[in-house]
Amino acid sequence: MIAKQEPKSFGEVFALLSRLYREEGAVNFLKLCFTLGKTPTPAGRWWMWSSILTVAAFLFVMYQLVFVGHSSFNTSSDGVNWGMAISTYVFFALISSGLTMIASLAMVFGFKQFYPVAKRCIFLAIITLASGFAVLALELGHPFRMLWAMPTGMQVMSPMFWMGVFYSIDLVLLFIKFYLLWQEDWDSPLSKFVGAASFVAVILASGMLGLVFGSMVMRPMWYGPFTSIYFMLTAALCGAAAIVVTTYMAYGFDRRNMGPHLRELAEGADLPKVFATLIGITLVMFLTRFWVGLWSNLDGMDGFHALVRTPLFHVELWLGLVVPFVMMLSPGMQTKMSHQMTAAFLVLGAMFINRYEFIIGGQLVPMFKGMWAASLLPYEPSATEWALTVMGIGMSLALYALGEKLFHLSAVPPTLLETEDRPAYA
Amino acid sequence: MAKWGMVIDLEKCVGCQACTVACGMENTRLPGEHWQDVIFFQEGEYPNTELKWFPRPCMHCENPSCVAVCPVRATYKTEEGQVLVDWERCIGCKYCMIACPYGVRFYTEEKPRYGGPDVKAVFKSGDARSWDPPWRAPQEDWRHGVGVQPHDVVSKCTFCYHRVSKAPKGTADLDPQNPALREFTPACVVTCPTGARFFGDLSNPHSEVNKQIAYKNGVRLLDHLGNKPQVYYLTGEGGSVPAERASKLKV
Repeated sequence: MIAKQEPKSFGEVFALLSRLYREEGAVNFLKLCFTLGKTPTPAGRWWMWSSILTVAAFLFVMYQLVFVGHSSFNTSSDGVNWGMAISTYVFFALISSGLTMIASLAMVFGFKQFYPVAKRCIFLAIITLASGFAVLALELGHPFRMLWAMPTGMQVMSPMFWMGVFYSIDLVLLFIKFYLLWQEDWDSPLSKFVGAASFVAVILASGMLGLVFGSMVMRPMWYGPFTSIYFMLTAALCGAAAIVVTTYMAYGFDRRNMGPHLRELAEGADLPKVFATLIGITLVMFLTRFWVGLWSNLDGMDGFHALVRTPLFHVELWLGLVVPFVMMLSPGMQTKMSHQMTAAFLVLGAMFINRYEFIIGGQLVPMFKGMWAASLLPYEPSATEWALTVMGIGMSLALYALGEKLFHLSAVPPTLLETEDRPAYA
Repeated sequence: MAKWGMVIDLEKCVGCQACTVACGMENTRLPGEHWQDVIFFQEGEYPNTELKWFPRPCMHCENPSCVAVCPVRATYKTEEGQVLVDWERCIGCKYCMIACPYGVRFYTEEKPRYGGPDVKAVFKSGDARSWDPPWRAPQEDWRHGVGVQPHDVVSKCTFCYHRVSKAPKGTADLDPQNPALREFTPACVVTCPTGARFFGDLSNPHSEVNKQIAYKNGVRLLDHLGNKPQVYYLTGEGGSVPAERASKLKV
């Protein structure tokens, strides 16, 4: 799945594409774009199938939005205003933030052993954020209106305004950072500055996303500064899980295909230690949140009682957090690929449930609707909402496969190679 | 500048919901899109239980959380105190619906509230409006959230902005008993058969609304949240408003 060669400038990219177009003709060129090369590769297959999935889901969503409108969502003014589309957006946005945090381990904080995943992290951060934005755009009533109404409105009191500002800055910085890494500029002052600025932006962005919910005193299940911290730290966990899954995917789930630096990271205890620490922190926060929720008599907190009675809650807690925690702590299991993979998959699943349960659960108790409204609102995502989620996941997978094919995502700084006197791998 | 506010006397309110119907007619609302609703709630437990109610328009808060959260400033507070939505700015993010403690906001694009028929599908719109009702009130002012709304925006009670904004300057009370002022008075106040609603200038110490609040201990809903509603309730001996969100979860 790894790119053999990487064009080094936009000029080269266009030259390459136009040469291919001239040599192959329009039909073959499109076919090549679809399969990503003449010989079948895992990246090509991932790209093809994920693209088909994304396009199919997108077309279904568009059909529904054009002919039915947002009524095809199961959200309602009487209760669950923000449905699964928003929880999917939060899921992706926080994965993106977490990936930038993991990249920062090497690029900002100097933990050199994490360099082999840094470039992949930055690329994934871009595409997961793009997927999140795509899902959000289709959820919004008037997404394009936002482009002029936000800068002209300047409602600085709104957490959502700042969320937009910080995530936009984050996306721009990620693009610049990835461009610099593409140009093999790992250590220039500019590159270091952009890395540090990205880290600051991503802390602000994920924290602000937390405050979109945390500022809501009328929604006690979300309220409080804790929500911001919760989002930042669980983002880091999502980032760690995503990079484990995607790195193994890139090498066909076989460590022998990896370069020496990456294999060292995968086989060593550092990665599972970071992973276990993040799962542990998440577990503590998760239990703290539910303790307060179940203990408190405050009006509106009753939703926590309902949440712990759902099977999803127990899947998330026991299967999605406790089992991976044990796996990543145990010296016998933590370095095995199969266990790392299983743990990462379980954590990603748990975090998807977590975002869903956080956002939907926080709205389950109706707001001042009287006794004619159900005391606990029924909500199930509609087919359109599911399709939107599938579209987001498909888009991430497709763009990831494309990235693996086009870029050398496992690149490390040349200085790292020189100092350790190891042959470069490509 | 007036600061419009409402007083609802719960000792006089009989829960007939004429206000809800009048509002729906005046503002051309969809079935179930009750800008003005009457909330019924239960106090006590069986056998010592009582069914209570109170009308709930938008509170047009002094510190409206919906205005603060709107990322595009589509929701705003006028100088005269009404909280309105500019339908030409609204992006339909629904954050204001999340942030309103009183649940008074509605999103246009939803499944029909009463299980159908979907009135919007029956009276399909051929223009920018979200539906084409067989009869609609003549006024339309999208910058102030008045009229039949376009697709994918949030709507809410305007305190009948199209009527109240035309009231003569310096009016202390919009009393529907006064023929000269009746057409400037909100529809729910005009229609209330028991005269349980008062509408006037909260910044004028001589207004009837201020007198009622002072003499009969006006209270505001969920006052602890600090939104400071401009709608006051007089509970007296017979009426009450809930201290909580009026729907207790049985778990």
